[in-house]
Amino acid sequence: MITLAQDVQNTMSTGESIAFWVLGPLALFGALGMIFARNAVHSALFLVLTMLSLGVTYMVQQAPFLGFVQIIVYTGAVMMLFLFVLMLVGKDSSDSVVEVLRGQRLAATILGVGLAALIVTAIARSLTEVTPVGLQGVEANGGHGNVENLGRSIFTDWLFAFELTSALLITAAVGAMVLGFVDRHTRGRKTQRELVEMRFRGEHDRPSPLPGPGVFATSTSVATPALLPDGSVAPESLSRLIDSVGAEDLDEEREAITGSAHGAEARALNPSTREGESS
Amino acid sequence: MGSYLPLFLLFVLAAAFALFSALLGPLVGPRRYNRAKLEAYECGIEPSPQPIVGGGRVPVAYYLTAMLFILFDIEMVFLYPFAVSADALGFFGLVEIVLFISTLGFAYAYVWRRGGLDWN
Amino acid sequence: MSALVTAISLAQDPPAKETLAPIDYGAIMPMLIILGAACLGVLFEALLPRHQRWSAQVALTLLALVGAGVTMAFYIADAPADGTLTLAGAIAVDRPALFLWGTLLALALGAVLMIADRTVEPGGAFVAQAAIRPGTVQDREQRLGAHPDRRDGARFQMQTEVFPLTLFALGGMMVFCSANDLLTMFIALEVLSLPLYLMCGLARRRRLLSQEAAVKYFLLGAFASAFFLYGLALLYGYAGSVRLADIANAAAGSDRSDTLLFGGMALLIVGLLFKGSVGPFHAWTPDVYQGAPTPLTGFMAACTKVAAFGGILRVLSVGLESTQWEWRGIMWGVAIVSMIIGAVLGLTQTDIKRMIAYSSIAHAGFLLIGAIVLTPDGLSSTLFYLLAYGFTTVATFGVISLVRDADGEATHLSQWAGLAKRSPLVAGVFTFLLLALAGIPLTSGFIGKFVVFSAALSDGMAPLVVIALIASAVAAFFYLRVIVLMYFSEPAPDGPTVTVPGAFTTASITLGVVVTLLLGIVPAFALDWADAGTFALR
Repeated sequence: MITLAQDVQNTMSTGESIAFWVLGPLALFGALGMIFARNAVHSALFLVLTMLSLGVTYMVQQAPFLGFVQIIVYTGAVMMLFLFVLMLVGKDSSDSVVEVLRGQRLAATILGVGLAALIVTAIARSLTEVTPVGLQGVEANGGHGNVENLGRSIFTDWLFAFELTSALLITAAVGAMVLGFVDRHTRGRKTQRELVEMRFRGEHDRPSPLPGPGVFATSTSVATPALLPDGSVAPESLSRLIDSVGAEDLDEEREAITGSAHGAEARALNPSTREGESS
Repeated sequence: MGSYLPLFLLFVLAAAFALFSALLGPLVGPRRYNRAKLEAYECGIEPSPQPIVGGGRVPVAYYLTAMLFILFDIEMVFLYPFAVSADALGFFGLVEIVLFISTLGFAYAYVWRRGGLDWN
Repeated sequence: MSALVTAISLAQDPPAKETLAPIDYGAIMPMLIILGAACLGVLFEALLPRHQRWSAQVALTLLALVGAGVTMAFYIADAPADGTLTLAGAIAVDRPALFLWGTLLALALGAVLMIADRTVEPGGAFVAQAAIRPGTVQDREQRLGAHPDRRDGARFQMQTEVFPLTLFALGGMMVFCSANDLLTMFIALEVLSLPLYLMCGLARRRRLLSQEAAVKYFLLGAFASAFFLYGLALLYGYAGSVRLADIANAAAGSDRSDTLLFGGMALLIVGLLFKGSVGPFHAWTPDVYQGAPTPLTGFMAACTKVAAFGGILRVLSVGLESTQWEWRGIMWGVAIVSMIIGAVLGLTQTDIKRMIAYSSIAHAGFLLIGAIVLTPDGLSSTLFYLLAYGFTTVATFGVISLVRDADGEATHLSQWAGLAKRSPLVAGVFTFLLLALAGIPLTSGFIGKFVVFSAALSDGMAPLVVIALIASAVAAFFYLRVIVLMYFSEPAPDGPTVTVPGAFTTASITLGVVVTLLLGIVPAFALDWADAGTFALR
């Protein structure tokens, strides 16, 4: 009977092989895409594809918990952080191609080949010398699925380690807030409502905003001062930063438009303040 | 195999509906483009190009969102085996998971009350 | 086919209820109080308005420390002599664990008082808003804004999240000392490290230095955690369990491949030694001690060392005791390297915080000598050494935070010249503490070294003890150099002044000095506590 069960587990069912032949190439494509994509964000997204395919493969292989964790933690959390770091650094910032460590390419190649050899040997051994037990049979798990067994284990034997994890997560949240968040009140920035109330309580110079520049039909420059109803220049419309158009120039224009000149603005455009500002 | 037929049909139906909706607009809708329509904004100022150094950076405020997401992501990882074995764990399992969730709730309350979720 | 049918029918049976081993809440109550208070502290941060936070947090933290101490005292009165395992064997509450908990709580009390102080540095040694970039206008404002003359100074008081974070770190340390399996130990390691990484970067002044320290500590700490985790995985592969007792059993009598055991052991111990800042794994120590806010440096230097050596003691004597002949030679080497690095490089330092950091590396070497003597004497002497060293260190950093000039702490050695003429009291206290660190009689440092060395001698480690004595002599030189500098040189005219500390820092320094003196004169009571029992070997 046990041999029968093993036979069942050693042969691939049709669905399993379909899943494999769909997911395997996808995972491989994603992995290659990750390496060869020029844009770092594309690389990250290719890696997501690989991880998703692997996650589904795990589920097909009777390891639903591993599959879900692969998707939730790797594809969700880890890849999100990856992308996030890319965005923080700037997605267009390019890598430095200068080799700082001499011979690192050679060393990386040798180590990579070595790792590949190790993995291939391990898989070859597991395929030939080890008899698979499977994860869902009575022999493996006492009849429970591996998720349920994990649940039992986490919530009984390892309950303290589990509860302690929440301390870790709280610390992470507090740390993120402490390092990344500036309290608006500390920064001294007020809400719109607070500002309005302050204005009308008289804590500011005036309740309304400063008048804008007087853009005439003849001039589109912000340097043109605004005119009050009596035709005099509104001093508050003069910018501290921009040299305003001289009163004389305005007079000419005004004469050209209305045919009459006002003398009031010569007083407003005090020459001494203008000199002080332009220096 | 026959029992999977409805499921298969559902897939086909869903895919067909998605394709149909996506293709309908471009195929049927009128196409009268002018320069203004192709601009990024129809009013206001042209967006200025991003600076060359560190172009395309995002504000650090996203980081908070990312961290919170990860927090609850990890919570979910623990909720899944709990949900599956809740029956076997009984009342004490419930106490444990409630303790865990409420502890994380403290962190959530902290971020929320301090304005970490406001976008200003 | 029928196997499948049975499997399905089994799965459809009502699942068997899991039964949970009873939990000895009395034994773990101190730990639960600290961790619970930390959670409550986060809630305080969420709900209280800014001006109430500091007082509420300080009250909560001190209450939690005292409460945990009192519960522990009550538990010790009728605790089983050979300890108890609880929480399904994850936590061992035995005499050494209780001693370490008591040490940690008392040291944390001193450190928390220093952290809470807002008079030495106006507004506290911690920054008001860590997220404001260093060097900006807002940063300058928040650095100087808490000055007592400023009316709106309340906005610039310290970030009060440090209190719950300190409690979390302390909780992690307590778990770490009493964890009876490697998995719990690993999570405790993270719980104790993460808040420390964070708080290292929160200094009010010299923020870039502080942030650099935080990044260095975090990166290297993450590496060390990875080492620990990898070692854990290999040991699990070897023993099929992460419980220390199971690993000990597997190592005692089996014909399994030793590769996994030795590989795992080496990686695990590297992770532990890093936390204890034992040389050659010490590289982070000087930079982090220098950059971190000084009250936190005191907390870190004292409590992390206690926790790390608590963990090392337990792993070595419970998990790896039966393989001691394999690792002992290497640990001899590590202890020698650590003592020599600490003593020799300490000589060349010009910054007082870095000097104390190298001194802590040398002390880690002395502690390691005690930790690899696996006799009851070795255990009790190491515990006593931790207690003595912790109090001296907290007080030392307390004094360092007092000597200041306009830029904050004056940590360069040349600025300490002639300090005795400016403030005889502070110079006297500091001299006493340095003598304790050097191990001069009538201080706790002498008794600590004496008991550790005599335990090592009786276990046949005479060569190691000779080297340790030479290292102590070399190290004593750089402590004496500071003393000579303070008493026999002229103070610079624009030199630093000695701040008159507020009640909190005064209490903290007094606590450290009094304990250092007490343990130096009448050490018998503490030695008796340390000698009360050994690890629960189950």
